Amino acid sequence: MRSCRQYIILLLLLLSGMIAAAQNPNNLIATRTQLVLLVDLNSPKNYLDSIFKKAAISNVNINNFIKGDFSVLTKDGWVEAKRQKNIVQFNRPLKDLKANPPENPFVVTNDIIKNEPRHGYMDNAVYGVNKFINVTVYELPSGLTRFNLPGYLNARRVFLSGGFNDWSTLKGKMTKTTTGWFIDIKLQPGGWMYKFIINSDWTLDPNNSIQMGDGGGNTNSVYYKYNYTFKLHGFSIAKKITLVGSFNSWKNNELIFEKKGDAWELPLYLSEGMHSYRFIIDGRSIPDPANPDKYKDSDGLLSSVLNIGETVYFKLNGYTNAKNVYVAGSFNSWEQGKISMKKTTDGWSVPLILPAGNYDYKFIVDGEWITDPQNPVSDVESKQLNSFIAVKPNHTFNLIGYSSAKTVILSGSFNNWKQNGYRLGNNGSQWSISLHLEPGKCLYKFIVDDKWILDPGNKQWEQNQFGTGNSVLWIDR
Amino acid sequence: MGGINFKNAIIINDDPAPYGDFQTLIVPIKRAGNLIIVEAQLDSLEGNFVMDTGAPYLVLNATYFRDAPRLRNQESAGINGDSDGSYTTVVHNFSILDLHYSRITADVTDLSGIENGRGIKILGLLGTRLFNKFAITIDISNNLLYIHKLDAQGNIPSSERIFKDPYLHMPFKYLNDVIFLKGAVNDKTMWFVFDSGAETNLLDYRKSKKALSTMQIVSRSKLTGIGGSSFEILYARFDKLTVGDKDFMRNRVLITNLEKMGKAYDHSVDGILGYDFFSRGVFSINFVKSEFEMYIYNNQ
Repeated sequence: MRSCRQYIILLLLLLSGMIAAAQNPNNLIATRTQLVLLVDLNSPKNYLDSIFKKAAISNVNINNFIKGDFSVLTKDGWVEAKRQKNIVQFNRPLKDLKANPPENPFVVTNDIIKNEPRHGYMDNAVYGVNKFINVTVYELPSGLTRFNLPGYLNARRVFLSGGFNDWSTLKGKMTKTTTGWFIDIKLQPGGWMYKFIINSDWTLDPNNSIQMGDGGGNTNSVYYKYNYTFKLHGFSIAKKITLVGSFNSWKNNELIFEKKGDAWELPLYLSEGMHSYRFIIDGRSIPDPANPDKYKDSDGLLSSVLNIGETVYFKLNGYTNAKNVYVAGSFNSWEQGKISMKKTTDGWSVPLILPAGNYDYKFIVDGEWITDPQNPVSDVESKQLNSFIAVKPNHTFNLIGYSSAKTVILSGSFNNWKQNGYRLGNNGSQWSISLHLEPGKCLYKFIVDDKWILDPGNKQWEQNQFGTGNSVLWIDR
Repeated sequence: MGGINFKNAIIINDDPAPYGDFQTLIVPIKRAGNLIIVEAQLDSLEGNFVMDTGAPYLVLNATYFRDAPRLRNQESAGINGDSDGSYTTVVHNFSILDLHYSRITADVTDLSGIENGRGIKILGLLGTRLFNKFAITIDISNNLLYIHKLDAQGNIPSSERIFKDPYLHMPFKYLNDVIFLKGAVNDKTMWFVFDSGAETNLLDYRKSKKALSTMQIVSRSKLTGIGGSSFEILYARFDKLTVGDKDFMRNRVLITNLEKMGKAYDHSVDGILGYDFFSRGVFSINFVKSEFEMYIYNNQ
């Protein structure tokens, strides 16, 4: 009786399914006791791919399947129940859902809910200028940034919350004055979304004209902490001077200079890396007369080139008899013969402007590739041992002791747990390496002469799939 | 987040009542995925906690609280130790803004899965027992949590009520500090755990057999649990979810075996109402009167 009823339900489901999906008879349905998979052998390959994906059946060779080889489905627990012309029905019992019951809802939803990047951060901001109705956010001589919120004197408390404090509702507590509220915070150059929490209400900055959606349905205020000022001397009778560049797609009338004394100035935030730009003076476009770095584009137009980043001095002591010394690394795609070093009294040297990051490099002395003898820290990439440097490092890993170890390697989520990667340098009492890490959580371990160990200097660790634990580190913005 | 093998469930709750100078405390909240995040302070440590009515009490993340003192004769589980290494502790000076707890019994357990899944530092879970002298109201669209002190009758004083005329007003069963709501899936009666820490609705496959044939199966998935064991789920849609005497249309649900989660609650569970349900409106839980209310944003 039950099977008869099931059959009727199945028929009804099939019928309703057929009406809904006349084009695609492939379907996955459930009855009281089993899961039913219907596959039309004549359907296009992409339809078959999608029904197998829906049923979580992987590695089906479609050509073999069409020819009647159902072995992949059989191995997965499906039983061929019926075949009518080109439609094949496979069943599997619902009690397959019984095995290994999950421990908590999160285990079930973790992979189902898409892990979108967290909203409210502007890590990819390329450039920006502020636009305030009243300038209530500004830089202090101390290097801190002051956020003011005039008024709201009846509020019980006000917090500043934004990407810079990981949208904390507690950390940015503002101080009350006779005219309003303020807080001084340390900011890295860049674009920062923020809001005030007045009493408990998330509130846009009423004095800031720049607002931006965070991709998650919220609108925030935006402040740019500047890191560069364009300057142009002279042109005292010019009416309007603007800046165009690769960073703003050469859009005119967006970035406007202000006259300061006998010069024109335009401070802004500009991301690290290479940018090209021109000035437009009352409609006439010129490269930056004060910048010797220029290039000619395909139209024969000269533009200025600007490289934003940290200046790093690469130095090689000795080798004073060498004819040519170059440096090459991951920062220039290992192109040899491009960055030549200059001879000094006791060796060779070259300054390079590099964006924050981690770099492998080597010197090339008269054609011979060598690691940097002054740098104890190295990295292995494609089985090649290279010298290693972090520009603007934000964490130093130290391992005290282990002085008799031959090698100490750092392996973690930041380098896909590479087992032969970052090699720490030893200064006698401890092993160290500094890295520039992305904000967020890092898991890592040290490998001391092939033995994996937790960081004894870090109390924070979590369990891993081997039952041996990983050290835990959070990198702030 | 049920099922974290709650050790503390058997311990008599003799923690002193919390205190605070407020009638209604309004706490700004944040979101990570479908999780509701509340910042709280434990001694000098500030950080994120998941608002989790699926947990009976405060649960702390072992990564940051591994050295907290152990209550009674609990074995210390080292890194290669047995079981899940969780244990019970007592913490002092815990605050959610103006709401202060001088002493709380809490579990310490591994919450790294949540951190790694959502990319946010999680110090712990705020379970129901923290609020059992209050009513709480969560307005997700405005990112606010209201903690209400109650009058002598156990009601939110009418002058303090922010939302009026609930769409749904129903009693709940409060068993082992877990909220059970009576409802139905396509007219098949069920008892649901209301879990603000569940990012979807969940149904037990044994309890949903009758209802399954009325559902549209979206997909089947094979997932990996703690310790690498694999389990299966079905992702389905169905028309009518009834909670109390009200219907909620167009629902999504994950169907799997909830046996272990039921064991953690010490009570069998037919289903769990999570984000898909509670994100439809403002919800309010009066722990003293065991009443659940919902004010709807959208019932479509």
